[in-house]
Amino acid sequence: MAAEHSHAHDYDDGAVHVHIAPSRFYWAIFAGLVLLTVLTVKVSYYDFGSANIIIALVIASMKASLVAAFFMHLRYDKLFNTLILLAAFLFLSLFILLTWDDLGVRAHDHGYAQKLSPETGLGAPGGEPATSATADDVGAAPEGAPKGAGHEEKKE
Amino acid sequence: MANVSESMAGTERVGHDAHAHPEFLQHHFDTPTQQFNASKLGMWVFIATEILMFGGLFCAYAIERGLEPQIFDDAHHFLNKIMGASNTVVLLFSSLTAALAVRSAQVGKRNLTSFYLVVTLLCACAFLVIKYFEYSHKFHLGLLPGHCFGHPGLSAAIQDGQEVGTCLHVNAEAAPVTPEWVKAVDESGHVRLLPPRANMFFGLYFVMTGLHGLHVLIGMSILTWVLVKNIRGKFSPAYFTPVDLGALYWHLVDLVWIYLFPLLYLVGKPE
Repeated sequence: MAAEHSHAHDYDDGAVHVHIAPSRFYWAIFAGLVLLTVLTVKVSYYDFGSANIIIALVIASMKASLVAAFFMHLRYDKLFNTLILLAAFLFLSLFILLTWDDLGVRAHDHGYAQKLSPETGLGAPGGEPATSATADDVGAAPEGAPKGAGHEEKKE
Repeated sequence: MANVSESMAGTERVGHDAHAHPEFLQHHFDTPTQQFNASKLGMWVFIATEILMFGGLFCAYAIERGLEPQIFDDAHHFLNKIMGASNTVVLLFSSLTAALAVRSAQVGKRNLTSFYLVVTLLCACAFLVIKYFEYSHKFHLGLLPGHCFGHPGLSAAIQDGQEVGTCLHVNAEAAPVTPEWVKAVDESGHVRLLPPRANMFFGLYFVMTGLHGLHVLIGMSILTWVLVKNIRGKFSPAYFTPVDLGALYWHLVDLVWIYLFPLLYLVGKPE
């Protein structure tokens, strides 16, 4: 870069100047990404309970950061572009959290619930409990609402 | 302005009033830098909208998984971790070659840019081929979204002359209006029984990976267009914006997959 444009650095000539990383550098980032992929697959064979999803998402975020910072050049780009990307993730997390919060104040009653396996006659994964869930089971249902009628009601 | 002209060496210029403009510089921009930064800003805003579009599906995933962790746990054993991981590495490698294509364009190595773009496109094809094998296996087993769940789409759960899965038609007269139970061999070789409601997991699986696959196809079209322009010699170290933005789109495809892979293939209790 310096050699090509050395004549033009005494004032802003308006030409595009970008940071050019060596090829080796990109290969190193790729190696890091593959290592993290191997790690996340290996880790998935161990049972850490509910921590599994946290570990998987942390590793995924590390990979995403590497891609965004170096392959997508954010590290050497205008800071504002990084802010746009972070804003997208911020609003995405607001979206998911508020939707989740809204769900907590509604009663659950899956109309298509099936409980028993046709083969064994025993309870099957994903089946509803024997008495289907009502507003009481949810815990956060609006007070005074009739049982099982919480669908349209919202907490005031 | 003389210096601008000098630094644009190798690109055509058109006379316009008293000033000499590089051909690629549009009239509403003062300098190539301003044009470059504006293009990048626009691309990043577009990438933000893409993330939010996929965000709706990630939100649905979070809610459904929170409500039915057991179903997600059982159903995810029907996804092949090795195939998913291979596709991850293929996509990461294509991201590397896309980044190297941009680098080659920055230093003006036109043929190298074309080479890396072709490698990126080949990786995209490899990704889709692996995805095809994954999809068709699920079609065979009847692991389909919505009311199709439990109704095998292809040769009735027979693969290589062996029965690999059974769909238990409880409401035979209702078929194919309602989803059915599926009993099939999962990716670790265990026979597993999935309730009709597991259609939710496969609905999310097919819509999320399907929308991602659509982005792979769009990305391939964009990179092909960039490749054609590159072969025609439209780019130089002074102007490589389309290579840069095309690669940014491709990295976005990679970025989405980086989250899809663990959420669909890896999360759940190991056997």
